[in-house]
Amino acid sequence: MIKKISPVIFLLLLPYLSQGKDTLSYETHVRPILEKKCIKCHNTNSPKGGVNIDNYKEQARVIENGAFWLKVMDQIETRAMPPKTEPALSMKDYTDLIEGIDGILQKSLEKKTPGHVIIRRLSHAEYHYTVLDLFGVSFDAKNYFPSDGSGGGGFDNQGKTLFFTPLKLERYYDAAEIIVDSLYSDDDRWEQIVPFTFNPTGLTGIKNWILSFFSTKYKGLNDPQIAAERVINQVGSKAYRRFLKGEEKGRLLELFGQVYAENENLSNPSRFNTSIAQVLKGILVSPNFLYKIEEEPDKEGPYPLSHFEVASRMSYFLWCSAPDQELYDLAYKGLLQDSSVLAGQVKRMLADPKSKRFAENFASQWLGIEKLIDPQPMVEESLYPGFDLELRTALYKEAGEFFYYALTKSKNFLDLVNSDYSILNRKLAKFYNIEGVEHDDFRKVTFADNKRGGVLGMGSVLASTSISTRTSPVLRGKWVMEQILGISPPPPPPEVSALTEDPSIHEELGLRKILELHRSSPECQSCHEKMDPLGLGLENYDPTGQWRETYEKVAVDASGVTSEGERFNGPYELRMILMQKEERIARNLSTKILSYALGRSILFTDEPALVKLENALLENNFNPEPFMIELVNSYPFLLKINDFEKKSI
Amino acid sequence: MAKKWQISRRRMLQGVGATIALPFLEAMGKPFVSVPFKKSPVRTAFLFMPNGVHPEHWTPSSYGSNFDLTRQLAPLAKLKKDVSILGNLMNHNSIFQGADGHYAKSASLLTCMPIKQTIGDNLSSGGVSVDQVIASYQGRDTLFPSLEYGLDRITTGVDINVGFTRLYGSSISWKTPNQPMTKEIDPKLAFDRLFKPYIPGVKVKEDLWKKSILDAVMEDANSLKKNLGRSDQDKLSEYLESIRSVEKRISNEEKREKFSGNITADIKKELIRVNQNINEYEEVYGGVDITEKTRLMLDIMTLAFWSDASRVSTFMFGNSVGNRNFSFLEGVSGNHHSISHHMNKPQLMEEYLRIATWHVEQYAYFLQNLKNIKEGDGTLLDQSMIVFASDLRDGNRHAPRDLPILLGGKGGGKIKGGQNLDFGKETPLANLYLTMLQAQDINLKQFGDSTRTLNSILA
Repeated sequence: MIKKISPVIFLLLLPYLSQGKDTLSYETHVRPILEKKCIKCHNTNSPKGGVNIDNYKEQARVIENGAFWLKVMDQIETRAMPPKTEPALSMKDYTDLIEGIDGILQKSLEKKTPGHVIIRRLSHAEYHYTVLDLFGVSFDAKNYFPSDGSGGGGFDNQGKTLFFTPLKLERYYDAAEIIVDSLYSDDDRWEQIVPFTFNPTGLTGIKNWILSFFSTKYKGLNDPQIAAERVINQVGSKAYRRFLKGEEKGRLLELFGQVYAENENLSNPSRFNTSIAQVLKGILVSPNFLYKIEEEPDKEGPYPLSHFEVASRMSYFLWCSAPDQELYDLAYKGLLQDSSVLAGQVKRMLADPKSKRFAENFASQWLGIEKLIDPQPMVEESLYPGFDLELRTALYKEAGEFFYYALTKSKNFLDLVNSDYSILNRKLAKFYNIEGVEHDDFRKVTFADNKRGGVLGMGSVLASTSISTRTSPVLRGKWVMEQILGISPPPPPPEVSALTEDPSIHEELGLRKILELHRSSPECQSCHEKMDPLGLGLENYDPTGQWRETYEKVAVDASGVTSEGERFNGPYELRMILMQKEERIARNLSTKILSYALGRSILFTDEPALVKLENALLENNFNPEPFMIELVNSYPFLLKINDFEKKSI
Repeated sequence: MAKKWQISRRRMLQGVGATIALPFLEAMGKPFVSVPFKKSPVRTAFLFMPNGVHPEHWTPSSYGSNFDLTRQLAPLAKLKKDVSILGNLMNHNSIFQGADGHYAKSASLLTCMPIKQTIGDNLSSGGVSVDQVIASYQGRDTLFPSLEYGLDRITTGVDINVGFTRLYGSSISWKTPNQPMTKEIDPKLAFDRLFKPYIPGVKVKEDLWKKSILDAVMEDANSLKKNLGRSDQDKLSEYLESIRSVEKRISNEEKREKFSGNITADIKKELIRVNQNINEYEEVYGGVDITEKTRLMLDIMTLAFWSDASRVSTFMFGNSVGNRNFSFLEGVSGNHHSISHHMNKPQLMEEYLRIATWHVEQYAYFLQNLKNIKEGDGTLLDQSMIVFASDLRDGNRHAPRDLPILLGGKGGGKIKGGQNLDFGKETPLANLYLTMLQAQDINLKQFGDSTRTLNSILA
């Protein structure tokens, strides 16, 4: 398949093309056109759509906010701006603007920078899985810890929006206690964490003493400090995702010694075990455990992450948890900056069932479907009975299962937009009116018709973009634009009124007519003509996502024309149109997944990496594997740069 | 008004304070502590309601002390002398270039400074919120400087089309401009944090090593800090401050003993009742009945004020743009935010009004709780300033002027109460906060964009 590459990307891919000629100057070439054609509406006093171009008086400012200027360029390039109500740009102005802005941005990219990632507290999902993998204890972090917000690309793993407060510390402390108690009450698991039963007087003590002559492993185990050190080394280095530093080990040992000394009334092994338990609590509350930390040695410019840091980035990205032994070993051997080693690891990690955690965690946040697992009812009971928490939870699960399937089985991210299957159980099949599904577990079910397919046919997405009494074509249309195509429509003007909710008017005119009326006012038109048709194309799904052909008596009309003039009738044809927009889809997935992987917002300087990611999808039929390999090998994933601000110590 | 979730055991028990408590001083009084004229402290709370109110049935038509309550204020009938309706206040800094309809208004409601437009990278509420300013003074003497409660989890995601993280809509309390306080939404966890050791029959394991463990991890953090970059260090300082704050609490035996002394037999009785109701709520209602949940959280706030666990609290009925399904109310069918865009349709405005009235009902419940408790010569409500506020007047237009603001309680005798007041068009909301600060002897000259104090609310 030949991929069309948009001019913007084309230029970015081939910087030498523009290096030949002089780039146009912002001040003398670009700015005057902007003043003539754009600033009338986008000025400081009344920035239309929240866009203020007037503000950019110097080239340096343009570069500083390059991401914004990419959007500006996109608007001009697609001729979305100037709006149809204004005179169009002359051909010369059009090319000067595009080439001028593109040249300025490209020049700024020649100096590569990986961007700065701030230390990140473990998200609640990460905490849950890290504890599960380390200790075998399943702890309900999501409901026990106060909730976090999202930042950057819209995910809960972004450092700047993960806060720490006394209340959170208390919860982390109590959680540590619950986890260690649960561990202690289970002999088998305790033995895995504390493999040496410390018992200097019992039979084991004698055994250890004898064995110590043959193997160093048993040496000194009758000395509580040495035995404790073994446990601390083992647990601590796993929990901190690196080797312990001397001082860190010293502090934990000191804690052990203190507790051990005061517990003299206890006999061993419980004296030893209760003392170790306190140390484990300390490890679980330490910032070295609770934060993903990348240290800043004194270095100039971009430099590679340490191998242990790469191991952590990879494992939290793909497994939502700490590195396993193999990653740890590779980090120890210093192999985690080697691209072929990394590629092998990505394959291995995706094949491991733990990658389902990534699928679930990423998909639910990307799709914005968390509301489904909130106990509060989403829709009007009387209108849509049976849409209860159990059903909603199953729908929520479907999304993660489906993403996981696209990621690891079908290996095609385009399935997310359209597919002839989903991953269902009996309950969901019944809800979707699909016959012959009798299994209670989630399995691939191939659809007999094309009513559903991809995430747009999922009850989770369709319900999340509806309100309790009806569907919202505007919300659904906006959702398609933002989450599938990666385009964000500007906000409605501040004093604008929303749609009427009066049922009698709805009956009289129908939603489609009401939206048409709404669109007829010019200030609403430019955005709603993009959003509304996309949403109206999904009108065959009711607010819970069930299929419908009629609203009570009137037939559903799910036909429309996109703002780019493509005609469709019904969800399937709409999906077919979306499937053509491969570049948009590729760019959107690249942006979202890279932001998730890095735990920060996407910066303008990530553009070269994004272009490569996008191409990894476009050139490999949207196979996630080469894409994920490209991502883990990407510049911002493997390198870091020190904060430009001075340290406070 | 509730259609479903019929009467629960708790309501048959008739709310707080059917039994009358010992006065604050008596409860505290140890014979050897001689503080003959020690005033009992002022308690302050801010209750936030999202999405605004029906603009026409809020402000009573006549001003002064003689007025008739409007439909939305009707639940305050029994408390008319304890509450003032404050008219024409406005948070000027909630509107600025690039501000959206909601987030810019809720996040700054208690800071009165403009927030920064960001999807999360440089969060700023513009300033410290007024509750946290008060807590920095009043919180010195209590176990918990302040308590932040709410009903809903933080709304996730970023609203890309307005360029704000939804986190802004989920936080009104800001410890620093860059750090929102953590909100508790689970009644059981919130209750246990304060009162678990005082429930008879509940054994709280003594944790002898907490201090040593916290010391060790604090050292971890201190040595770690040296190897980090500046913004990492700033982030880690949140951790360090949290450790210090918790250490201070557990190591301050005097404070803890004092608090234990505050738990009188009456408070204990109430603790047991609320604890029972929380357990019942979790078992019977599965966390669904929102009225019940609200009242439990307000019961915990009452207990916290009564026992002097804390003197400052915020409570969020919902997050900004909250779209709670209010169909459990008679005559309402739909979600709050959607209904708030009512297009002036009578039917929708009626539903909008009923939702706001439900909020005022809960506010009244809280005030009545406080009023049922004796303290000193008056009631706990007399010692309090309880603000009810929405960040919008009419949600349909995102109207930021003439905000719906109520002030309940007498603030330790400083506040007059029982008035319907009009301060004149676009009076800064910050003036109210400045007045409240000064009324509890926190003598700041300015808060946010304040211009003067609101003297007519004073006694």
